[in-house]
Amino acid sequence: MKRLLLPFLLTGLAGAAQAQQPGTPAATVIAVPPLTSPTGGSRGNEMLAVGWQVTEQIETDLRQTSELMPLKPKRDDYYSYPEVTAPTFSKWRSAGAKALVTGFVQSRSDGRLTVGCYVYDAEKGRELARKGFVIGPNDWRRAAHKCSGLAYTAITGAPGMFDTSIAYVAESGVGDGRMRRIAIMDSDGYNHRYVTGGEALVLTPRLSPKATQIAYVSFAGGKPGVRILDLDSKQDRALVPSDAISFAPRYSPDGSRIIFSMMQGQNSDIYVVSAGGGAPQRLTTSPGVDTDPSFSPDGSRIVFESDRGGSQQLYVMNADGSAQRRISFGGGWYGAPQWSPDGNLIAFTRRGQDGRRIGIVKPDGTGERVLTNGPGDEGATWAASSRELLFQRVGSGGRSGLYRVTLDGSDARAMTIPQDGSDPDWSGVID
Amino acid sequence: MRHFLLFSSLVVAGASAHAQLPFLTKRGPAQPVLQGIDAQRAEFAAQSGGTTVYFGVESSGLSAPARTVLTAQAAWLRRHPEVVVRVEGYGDAGDTRDHALAVGARRAEEARSYLILLGVPAPQVSITSWGKERPGLGRAVTILVR
Repeated sequence: MKRLLLPFLLTGLAGAAQAQQPGTPAATVIAVPPLTSPTGGSRGNEMLAVGWQVTEQIETDLRQTSELMPLKPKRDDYYSYPEVTAPTFSKWRSAGAKALVTGFVQSRSDGRLTVGCYVYDAEKGRELARKGFVIGPNDWRRAAHKCSGLAYTAITGAPGMFDTSIAYVAESGVGDGRMRRIAIMDSDGYNHRYVTGGEALVLTPRLSPKATQIAYVSFAGGKPGVRILDLDSKQDRALVPSDAISFAPRYSPDGSRIIFSMMQGQNSDIYVVSAGGGAPQRLTTSPGVDTDPSFSPDGSRIVFESDRGGSQQLYVMNADGSAQRRISFGGGWYGAPQWSPDGNLIAFTRRGQDGRRIGIVKPDGTGERVLTNGPGDEGATWAASSRELLFQRVGSGGRSGLYRVTLDGSDARAMTIPQDGSDPDWSGVID
Repeated sequence: MRHFLLFSSLVVAGASAHAQLPFLTKRGPAQPVLQGIDAQRAEFAAQSGGTTVYFGVESSGLSAPARTVLTAQAAWLRRHPEVVVRVEGYGDAGDTRDHALAVGARRAEEARSYLILLGVPAPQVSITSWGKERPGLGRAVTILVR
């Protein structure tokens, strides 16, 4: 398998593979000098201090990517407010930068702040993108994520994953008494909070597209069932008023519907229901286990797993349940598919004699690649950029953590979370 | 963890051995008197030859030993219509999470259907699935008196 992958990596992905090496030509070097401020006086100094925090956060965000390589910001690279829109490109060209971010932080009379963000092609001296945000006085981190996203999208063409949320199951304790709570955090690990109390076993939290709700599985009441938790109102309800075992929920891309699995007798089939409730509509009828459905980003198709053919494999169907066909043929068992936000790939967990690994395949079943070494990997979820995956890895000690892996063939990296974690779900860009 | 499991399974085995061989109980040191649901659970386990039945890899088919245990359980449950049980299914630890959940449910449903086939009223038997969330039992269902 590894030998098969190698030629593909060397030819098709040579550029991307180099990009992971800091400072190699394939990564776009980007200058991020400290944000300035038009505000005068002592308030102006406060704004410059906020600007410096934003600047350092942008650098941290962009450094996480394999496509961009930020220059370390220096405090004495201060520029004036008019230079935000008329930067000295030659200075940044000679520093080796191909791209440049400028911006400002301005104090408003209502106590909030306006943050302006500008992205330039430093070689051509051309503006690529600009955006302004009004934020609360302490929301500078969010503004930085938005600015990082603007730069990332302007240069790579892909949505940035900086202003996104991650939901997962935080695990602590041992044995059957192990406490599992659903936690949510910003994609950089900040703003971490628990949203369920730990009384009942919980699984597979799935964020709604704008991260305002979570669909998840709870064992409250003795058997697994899908519940919906509204993150603002804290209102929590069963998805379908049924005694049947239900699991594996996911939102449709527009958030209006939820697809999930429900047991009827020995049969697990896929159903769709309005996110607001109502009668579920059954989409599959084959005997056996059909589960883990995931919509394509345009909502027209669904990928899912089924063991109807004797072993667990990936299938694609139209959103109304028609035209079901198998797409995985690489040997072994395939499960837990998720369609990428750009529609071009499907991530999956492949199970063989040597364990579970994360891989990707095109929706027509071609171009399969395994990305991780296993042996305890599962449950991949896409970054908004469609260039990175977050997944769960159970290590040799039995402890479970969250890992990120990019599609360029580099090694998976552990995310820092307070306890053990499983079942990650990565939201789209929030607004 | 392992120590704890071992200990608890020894206790269960000990209890059922005594119950099957009542003369031992009489001669041995005083046994703790089980009351209420614990007594029912012990009697159920003793008289049906166990509370757990095992399955093959990825399979929800009942083996001959599994049918023997379930047949004894069904007989006991018909004699005790006031007792409700929950069949708890387990999936394979190496499986993906949701597939394991479905396989556990399928195994539980298979065992429940067999109990009902043998004359146990359906309302007496509910099911659930632990998937791979409570490792230790492996490919099994346990029938829990509630």
